Amino acid sequence: MSDIVFELTEVHYSYPGKFPALCGIDLTVRSGEKIAVIGANGTGKSTLLQLLDGLIFPHKGQVSAFGERLSEWAHTDENAAHRFRKRVGLVFQNADIQLFCPSVKEDIAFGPLQLGFSTKEVERRLLEVSGVLDIRHLLDRVPHQLSIGEKRRVAIASVLAIDPDVYLFDEPTAGLDPSTVRHIIDFIVEANLRGKTIITATHDLHIIGEIADTVYVFGRNKQIVREGAPESVLSDRSFLEANNLVHIHRHHHNSKEHLHQHMPLEPHE
Amino acid sequence: MYKPSHRKSDFIERSILSALAFLKDATLSEEYANRRGFLQSLDPRIKTISFLAFLVTSISLKSAVLISALYGLCLILVIFSAIPVGYFLMRTLLFIPLFSLCIVLPTLFSAVTPGEPLWTFHLFGINAIITRQGLGGAVLFVVRIATSVSLVVLLSLTTRHSELLKVLRFLGVPQIFVLTVSMCYRYLYLFATMVENIFTAIKSRVGVVSQQQQGRQIVAWNIANTWNRTTQMSEEVYMAMLSRGYTGEPRLLSEFHAMPRDWAWLFCALIACAGLLYRGHTL
Ligand SMILES: Nc1ncnc2c1ncn2[C@@H]1O[C@H](COP(=O)(O)OP(=O)(O)O)[C@@H](O)[C@H]1O
Ligand SMILES: [Mg+2]
Repeated sequence: MSDIVFELTEVHYSYPGKFPALCGIDLTVRSGEKIAVIGANGTGKSTLLQLLDGLIFPHKGQVSAFGERLSEWAHTDENAAHRFRKRVGLVFQNADIQLFCPSVKEDIAFGPLQLGFSTKEVERRLLEVSGVLDIRHLLDRVPHQLSIGEKRRVAIASVLAIDPDVYLFDEPTAGLDPSTVRHIIDFIVEANLRGKTIITATHDLHIIGEIADTVYVFGRNKQIVREGAPESVLSDRSFLEANNLVHIHRHHHNSKEHLHQHMPLEPHE
Repeated sequence: MYKPSHRKSDFIERSILSALAFLKDATLSEEYANRRGFLQSLDPRIKTISFLAFLVTSISLKSAVLISALYGLCLILVIFSAIPVGYFLMRTLLFIPLFSLCIVLPTLFSAVTPGEPLWTFHLFGINAIITRQGLGGAVLFVVRIATSVSLVVLLSLTTRHSELLKVLRFLGVPQIFVLTVSMCYRYLYLFATMVENIFTAIKSRVGVVSQQQQGRQIVAWNIANTWNRTTQMSEEVYMAMLSRGYTGEPRLLSEFHAMPRDWAWLFCALIACAGLLYRGHTL
């Protein structure tokens, strides 16, 4: 099957000296799919994305990408690594980690330069990508002095400059203002329409209706506890509650206090 | 009830916070590098080379007068580069020569630099004699330090940090070294912010940072925690590099465009240095 992007079988992963972070994940991702991985903090979403990006390797089970098993070659064999890196891009949860260059311009150019694109091509991409993400005015700035929203857009630009087939997003909308969230969702939806495969880890249930056709829910047991269309998962109130994905708010309305639960598809009051 | 000695802890607290603020400001502010001024408009490579020439000249010259001329040139450049002279003097003259003064003070005296007595006085029953040779050497030393420091500060004030790093690469420093330096610098800021945040967190929990047992434990715990976070961060940064195709040999952007006026400046700078050195030789 040539359209399978990722295939995970019985994947286990533990951080050194810690409790396991993933306990038996089976997952198949096809080309052009739009997937969300949701789960409370610490359920292993970031770990999964790092496995998919060939940054860490499972202790048990295996991860294959494009029909090839991911293993140390992703770090040691330069040609194979470059072929893989051109196809898969990860936007890290922490933009401060992802942006390590002294200027925004250099951060965006870093990927394409490592992957051997010509200087001319790198400059073309720099211009194009900074236009798409509306960060042209930031090119000469120092990344760490930007706002969270600007950092996030630069981080996305640094991956877009590689123009991969598969985008992995780790909590792309966490902590952002509504208009930046909108911008990023539009970016994701558009990329998918252009045929890109999208895998997003998030616990922001308000956005998954737009950014996903299929949702995988990670539970406290570090396994996939549910899989389905966003609507069917989101409408299961007790299931979401059991997995710490919705919370109960205490509100004041007309000086009367009452408890109510926020459902993801309803607007936040 | 335990009463913390407010004065002392306040002083320490203020010192730490202002040191952090200074670190962030001194190393990371690019306000002046972004202004429109003469030095800012020069090609960073050529600017750096001309400043290296000035530095070598100021170190080679043995006449305080000639070095002062170079210092005067430096101040003129400050004015033409839209940097407030007061701020510049503060940053250079106030701090660093103070240290050098401490170094040269002993050499003034006959016990360290023997020679023709210039001034004799009694201090705690000791006969102290300042010698002409000692004074001359001290003046030369201070002027030289002040000039060198001013040159370095002026170069770093008027050049964006990312460009200075690119110049290092241009001058033949290996890319991996440049990348490492740029990252250290980059994460210095995060580290400073982290320490600041931790400090605020401790304060909000303990009230003041004091000698209290509880305070000390929190500080110790936070130092360990900060260390953990930094090492974990370096692993993650490495992953972020791998993720974008890094395989051990960094390739970085380099784009410089030297124009005729850059070459004209370099020519003038080298002529000035040669003139000063010649004058110093014939003096
Ligand atoms: N670098 C690390 N070292 C040790 N443990 C880690 C590390 N990163 C994550 N973990 C642990 O692994 C588990 C899964 O973490 P993570 O994948 O980051 O979850 P999520 O992204 O869903 O919040 C958590 O229990 C977390 O504490
Ligand atoms: Mg995470």
